[in-house]
Amino acid sequence: MKPLQGKVALITGSGRGIGKAIALKFASQGCDIIVNYFRRREAAEQTAEEVRKLGVRVEVVKANVGDPEKIGELFDAVGKSFGHLDIFISNAASGVGRPIMEIDEKAWDWTLDINAKALLLCAQRAAPLMEGRNGKIVSISSLGSKFVWPTYAAVGISKAALEAVTRYLAIEFIPKGIAVNAVSASAVETEALKFYIKEGLVKDVKQTTPVGRMVTPEDVANVVYFLCSEEAGMIRGQTIIVDGGTSVAPWASVIEKGEG
Amino acid sequence: MTVEEQVKEIVSKIAHIDKSIISREATFKEMKADSLDVVQALVAVEEKFDIEIPDEEAQKFRNFGDFVDFVAREAAKKKG
Repeated sequence: MKPLQGKVALITGSGRGIGKAIALKFASQGCDIIVNYFRRREAAEQTAEEVRKLGVRVEVVKANVGDPEKIGELFDAVGKSFGHLDIFISNAASGVGRPIMEIDEKAWDWTLDINAKALLLCAQRAAPLMEGRNGKIVSISSLGSKFVWPTYAAVGISKAALEAVTRYLAIEFIPKGIAVNAVSASAVETEALKFYIKEGLVKDVKQTTPVGRMVTPEDVANVVYFLCSEEAGMIRGQTIIVDGGTSVAPWASVIEKGEG
Repeated sequence: MTVEEQVKEIVSKIAHIDKSIISREATFKEMKADSLDVVQALVAVEEKFDIEIPDEEAQKFRNFGDFVDFVAREAAKKKG
């Protein structure tokens, strides 16, 4: 029997990138999956197809997690289809890449609603579905919560808020038997990164990563998976960084790299 | 109200654009709608007409007219 057989995981934003890798990782371990997407149905259907081939049950639900009403509908759908939830991964993210002086209220709200408020509102809806099931919640952050990148202010700030929500949830959810943590990654090889490279905001990532290669969605998914295991039971409210050493080596471009 | 008028209403409200400068030929750039305005307009129009506008399709819109035509086609399909 696979370790997650009979369990159900909802991963927001799982049509592409990190969310998709997480969905496939959990499915490979026997977990039933709810694929959530907002704008790209085809990608979500593709993820669902790959998940289905791993022999588990899969549902696809469209919802903008920046909209509280849609969050309600998403969790109603989960409750209706599966009746319960074991794992919730708050992965969906969006953002407006602008210098501080150009961040208006609309851009701030859009970014903070999707990246930070969604975790709070989703966790409130996930908790009752996890009752008596040793639930796990993992949010996906980024190094922008602590370090500054050009035009990344709105997203970086939202990720700092996300990590704080994670800490508070972790403690308040202990009586509910739910473990809550975050995984934070540096630049990950996804479509989102292609945008940042195109805009000239990220370059030479390999040069600044001591391990000598980029972080992949699978690298992130593996750590998320560990945090959802009972072996990680004493890790609570933490943000685990997956960056190949980048954040502890600010002069990485001049040090010897690994082989990747 | 026609589909065009309804879409115009939504775009005008979301992107704070005066309706007088929204024409079929106008591009989002000309209307000074940024990428967030466009995404929010797409989402609002999807809700209003109960349709889906995939990003892949939205990227093909050359101007407001293309946007309206797509919405009208999808809304008509929906009505069947």
